[in-house]
Amino acid sequence: MPVPWEAVLPVVLMTTMFTVGGTLFRTARTLNNDGKPPRYGIDEWDEMMMHRDKRLTGSTRGQSSNPKAPPEFAINSIQYAKPSLQ
Amino acid sequence: MSHYGFPDRGTPYNNPAPMPKTVPHVDEIGATSAPLKSASFFIGEKCKEFNEDFMLCKSKNPSEKCLLEGRRVTRCAADLLQKMQASCAKEFESHWQCLEMNNQEFYPCRKVERPLNACMFTKLGLKKTIPGTPKGATPIHEVENPIHQPLLK
Repeated sequence: MPVPWEAVLPVVLMTTMFTVGGTLFRTARTLNNDGKPPRYGIDEWDEMMMHRDKRLTGSTRGQSSNPKAPPEFAINSIQYAKPSLQ
Repeated sequence: MSHYGFPDRGTPYNNPAPMPKTVPHVDEIGATSAPLKSASFFIGEKCKEFNEDFMLCKSKNPSEKCLLEGRRVTRCAADLLQKMQASCAKEFESHWQCLEMNNQEFYPCRKVERPLNACMFTKLGLKKTIPGTPKGATPIHEVENPIHQPLLK
């Protein structure tokens, strides 16, 4: 009896599409985070520490356990200012 | 340029002028967030007096009058980080790498934390204590089978 293999084709197509899309998404997320899983539940403290990490290493997920900071760390801090209303 | 839901912080400015020569120079700590979080309990135990002095001083005068206490805090923490690198480098590195892979939360990394705590106790005499643990209760990092465990063991 001939097996209706044409019926399986849409299922295979959908599986392939989901797999390809999911893999691309995971790759993009991993590349954005230096090969690590992304951070979630970030509060203001974590944001502040991640900005500090960016000043130290150049990337928000870069890490280093050096006791001494590089000399440019002392002068690359950023303050926010806006004109007062007076 | 303010977007909905984001309060306007202002334009970012960078002042590249270094500290004045009258202020004694202390190298800033170069450790980023994950190694600092891994070493946090040990820094808290070793540098307790300096940290409390600084916080007391800051609570009294919120302007930039507490530079001396701040320099002491920085020197103490940098000293401890140097000692940790010298004696417990491998356990320290594996613990903070584990923290980085797990959203910097402690509970998935207990297996890696135990050798670090043991090494710190034998080599440097520092024991991790969680302040605020109720009397008679086991601290969470010493519980054998905690409720919140990592997904993959």
